Amino acid sequence: MPGTILALFLFALVVVTIGLGVRIVPQGSKHVVQRLGKYHSALSPGLNLIIPYIDTVAYKVTTKDIVLDIPSQEVITRDNAVIIANALAYINIVAPEKAVYGVENYVYAIQSLVQTSLRSIVGEMALDDALSSRDSIKAKLKAAISDDIADWGIALKTVEIQDIKPSPTMQHAMEEQAAAERARRATVTRAEGDKSAAILQADGRLEASRRDAEAQVVLAEASQTAIRKVAEATQTGELPVVYLLGEKYIEAMRNIANSANSKLVILPADLPAAVRGLISGLPAGPR
Amino acid sequence: MLYWHWLTLGMALIIAELFIASFFVFWFGLGALLVGLLVWLNPTLSTAWQVLGWSLASGLMTLLWFRYLRPLMKDRTQAGNARGAVIGEAGRVLRAPHGTNRGTVRFTTPLLGDDEWEFICEGSVVIGDRVYVKDFSGNTLVVEKRD
Repeated sequence: MPGTILALFLFALVVVTIGLGVRIVPQGSKHVVQRLGKYHSALSPGLNLIIPYIDTVAYKVTTKDIVLDIPSQEVITRDNAVIIANALAYINIVAPEKAVYGVENYVYAIQSLVQTSLRSIVGEMALDDALSSRDSIKAKLKAAISDDIADWGIALKTVEIQDIKPSPTMQHAMEEQAAAERARRATVTRAEGDKSAAILQADGRLEASRRDAEAQVVLAEASQTAIRKVAEATQTGELPVVYLLGEKYIEAMRNIANSANSKLVILPADLPAAVRGLISGLPAGPR
Repeated sequence: MLYWHWLTLGMALIIAELFIASFFVFWFGLGALLVGLLVWLNPTLSTAWQVLGWSLASGLMTLLWFRYLRPLMKDRTQAGNARGAVIGEAGRVLRAPHGTNRGTVRFTTPLLGDDEWEFICEGSVVIGDRVYVKDFSGNTLVVEKRD
């Protein structure tokens, strides 16, 4: 009987010992083992055996990439504008023992580092540069942080500027500036349009006058030709003019007769005398 | 206990491993099967010796597993283990380090999302040398040149 009890206790000891000694570490993480309070080893994924009672798994650390959200913060640029920036940092713990022993809280430490570095990097840039050169900020940020996190066994894979925008007052001012610029352009465009229209209209008038003058010349030449032809036909000096005037006079009379507002037209009986009266100032032609 | 008790216990423990998933009940199951075999060969074995045998057999199975079977379980992937995946990788020197300036090494396949890394090397290297990753130091690699 005592033998059986002893054997059972021994068995219980074996169970506890094996239970404490066998450790399964899942892929994507590492377990930091301390031997009597001192770092001993980091267990790799898979089945591991540690010495029970003296070895303990002190920390379980993920070796997958960790995405850290860097909170929004106000940053002042070189030209004293305030912008709000936040970022995402992708880190990987390459040496778990350094990460757990090198810094109290690596997540908080890296968040703070990224925040302060981002502030100093953006502080050296002008507002327009800060808003337009995210890649350069990213590269500088990565270079600035790398050395600081070396002691913690952490590699910074990348820092992505998630959002970078001017503060509300700055945004309002920028929108006003943009609106004013648009308004200026609209005014200039309108003035240019008016100028072009005026020039075109003047050109039109000039062209029209030129053509009117040409038309009058052509008309005068036509009259001259007509007078010459009539003179040639009648062989007298004064008569062609009288004839042409009479013709025009009769035509004018016809127009008066045709117009709607006159019903009575009195023609002078002696048309040649009337026409002659009209042109009495003309010098006498050859007889 | 009779031999079939041990065999049943052994099988029950092996099945229990499926639900417990701690991978140490399994060896007690194997130990129980071994004790079942012993009891079948020698039915007069006392309970104390049987339990003692079970303890020893279980411990022996555990040790045998770690001694002979675990080395056969190769790592099939280094996914999620950046250090293991990177150490030993070979790259070519783009810019040799001089003074306090670090050199630059380029890898054919990106390591941790980057194919160009700054590096520190104890020996002297020139552009075009083939170097192997020895360790990490933050975002800087510690490399060595192998002759």
